[in-house]
Amino acid sequence: MIGLKAAGPMDQFEILPIVPIKIGGLDLSFTNSSLWMMIAAGAIFAFFFAATRGRAVIPGRIQSAAEVLHEFMADLVRGTIGHDGMKFFPYVFTLFVFILVMNFFGLIPSIPGAPHEFHTFTPTSHLVVTFALAMLTITIVVVYGLMKNGLGFFKLFAPSGLPWWLYPLLVPIEIVSFLSRPISLAVRLFANMFAGHIILKLFATFVTMMIGAGGIFAAMGIAPFLGAVGVTMLEFLVAGLQAYVFAILTCIYLSDAAHAADH
Amino acid sequence: MPMADDVDHGSDAGRRQPPSLDEFSKRLDAARGDGEAEKPAGAGTGPALGRALRVSSELLAALLVGTLLGWGLDRLTQAGPLFLLLGMLVGFAAGVRNLYRAMRNDAK
Repeated sequence: MIGLKAAGPMDQFEILPIVPIKIGGLDLSFTNSSLWMMIAAGAIFAFFFAATRGRAVIPGRIQSAAEVLHEFMADLVRGTIGHDGMKFFPYVFTLFVFILVMNFFGLIPSIPGAPHEFHTFTPTSHLVVTFALAMLTITIVVVYGLMKNGLGFFKLFAPSGLPWWLYPLLVPIEIVSFLSRPISLAVRLFANMFAGHIILKLFATFVTMMIGAGGIFAAMGIAPFLGAVGVTMLEFLVAGLQAYVFAILTCIYLSDAAHAADH
Repeated sequence: MPMADDVDHGSDAGRRQPPSLDEFSKRLDAARGDGEAEKPAGAGTGPALGRALRVSSELLAALLVGTLLGWGLDRLTQAGPLFLLLGMLVGFAAGVRNLYRAMRNDAK
């Protein structure tokens, strides 16, 4: 505890450059956010390398885990987009695993005494990161929808078989509904991770503050401690769930794009 | 069947026969199909919580987009709060549409 600065609940979201890079007016520094994205990508690579190395008929422990993950996502993609949707499987799977691992790694406690730049960081607790992922999904949806259906893609905004006077009302609603997709996708993941980490840090701060107060307060510190344990468990659930929701919505949007001209 | 196969069977006669891959995958598919048929759709805490988290942001995001679009149109056209109000209405309607779509997708 000695030498530990009183860290506010927002300090954990601070972006700190590790290797400052400036090109022109752009700040392209390698930050703690980049570091944790690379750790996540590296861990995923190592895991699947280890899992697929054996290629045993009767899988070992790691291979089983990878196979369960693969089957789970394959069922999701097949169930939502259909069999021809399997061409999106690599994208959806990568997205799911990447978000999942970033969320989970963000829950690892920091090494005490480590420099602030190397504290545990959750890239998905930043709106830029989640919005970039959401825009990638929506860009794929729009490009694939236009490629597959041509201008029929815009029937997404005007479903056929309605009385004519309903269209002036419905088309703006559908356009706003479509435009809200990347925002709801990005904000949902960001807000969940952000809020969860703040609550976690607040509970943890209460514990140290109450122990610091001493006497009866130190004994009462058990309450926020139990709260922190509970929130940590909830956060593990949320971390998995949000990655899953992101993946399933990507599938639903892709399926909409694939079948836009049908309705 | 070639000889090699027969010899293989002979040497394995005492031990448990490993089933062929085709047979195994057929059994696996059958088992999986049964499992899915018995499982009620969308049951359990996980999916329910996921739906709850999803639904709230669907409504809010559409309202936000509609309002912002209306606000932007107001600034472009100097039309006062006309488009802002219209945008809020359209945004809310789009949010409800999002909700409806989300629930319909889940029910499937």
